[in-house]
Amino acid sequence: MPQQLAIIVLVDVGNALATSTLEGNTYLFDNMKLHGSENQGTGELVTAIHGSYWSDGSQASEQVLNWLPYSLGSVPPTVPRGYEADRARQSDEEALAELHDLADRSSAAGADAAGELNRIRRKTGTRLKTTRRTSGRMSGAKILDVTGQVVAEDGTDAHSHPAPVITDIYGEAVDAKIMYPAEYGSPDMVTDGWYWSATVDTSRPGTYAYMMRVQLHKLAQVNGELRWEPVNLTYSSALKISSEPRRNAFTKAGVGPLPIPHTPPGQGA
Amino acid sequence: MKSQVNIIAVVDVIGALSIRGLHDGNLCMVDDGPFGSSHQGTADLVTIVKPGQVVSWTALAVDLQTPVEIKNISFAPSDGHAAHGRDHAGQAHRDQGPGMGAPGVHGQGAHGQGAHHEQDAAGEKLDLDVWTGVVPHWMTPGVPYQYRIEFQMYEGAHSVMRVETPALMCQ
Repeated sequence: MPQQLAIIVLVDVGNALATSTLEGNTYLFDNMKLHGSENQGTGELVTAIHGSYWSDGSQASEQVLNWLPYSLGSVPPTVPRGYEADRARQSDEEALAELHDLADRSSAAGADAAGELNRIRRKTGTRLKTTRRTSGRMSGAKILDVTGQVVAEDGTDAHSHPAPVITDIYGEAVDAKIMYPAEYGSPDMVTDGWYWSATVDTSRPGTYAYMMRVQLHKLAQVNGELRWEPVNLTYSSALKISSEPRRNAFTKAGVGPLPIPHTPPGQGA
Repeated sequence: MKSQVNIIAVVDVIGALSIRGLHDGNLCMVDDGPFGSSHQGTADLVTIVKPGQVVSWTALAVDLQTPVEIKNISFAPSDGHAAHGRDHAGQAHRDQGPGMGAPGVHGQGAHGQGAHHEQDAAGEKLDLDVWTGVVPHWMTPGVPYQYRIEFQMYEGAHSVMRVETPALMCQ
């Protein structure tokens, strides 16, 4: 059973949203550099996949591909799943404590109650409006920056983007039945509970292109409310498949006797 | 009698590369032989076999996304010198110099582990190798024949590691 293959799809989400394209804003990596994958770390990755077959022509190994979308400009995916909700709740608690404190001090002379209230309101950040369509992991969350601090309404330039989500894998390699992709549920929170995986038919060597549909989320102000609007973009990559016959490692031909010495160990000259 | 015995070497590639060694549980060897093999789950596995049986070795990674292949399997000749089951010239060769004693205590430099071994490792296509052979009739029963098994984990100066502790023993 060979090593599982992983393709990292790293997206510069902010620039991709600004230019409405993944071209120039996507960086691909895989763990098959050793097998001849080309253009690692660029948008033009060609993933090398080595197949093998037995002497009767049947496929000898199955290759499994996994895609992992990463984000430039997001809270890291390794923080706990409830991180955004926790940060929102924490900022509410801090604001309540400060309000309590302000109420105690408001009777004192010289207190600028209005100014203080305004400062507290800014500190509580901006809660997102969620619709049925945008509910789910982002519902009720506040806008954070990449360090996890809540962001005030007028400071949303610094906000963190939700990580990109692959929503489909299709194109030549799928149409030609070179690979069979599917989306799976996963306990791995780095992929937010879902990931795309595929098995590969290595019996037809060649280079095959495929497309990824990637969903990003853009912070949009609609009727005075902030919400995440989905933006669907596509990006293409390629698989380069080769296949070679299996061989007996001892004989380089058929199966023969093991290369065991005729004299038992410890009884030689 | 079971006609084939499978030996699986499970390697913690990240662990092995981190401490540059297959000890500390980074290598576990198990087999499915029917004759009561001993030291299952360790690098000291003694697989009990019978002449005519087919023995097949496979390396598997604990973390499926790490690369590990068997680079070589060789049995020490009786004079204590190591012989490779194969080398790059396609023939067995013997090490030069004095013998190093019993199998399993060979020094790192005594096995022709020259730089050329590691330089062209990537071009060897180890993933195509099938490590299978027939137990010969000339093995002496009850004597463990220790063998050296080498693993390639990715590439580079420290990517090849081996043990000389597992053995085949004829019933």
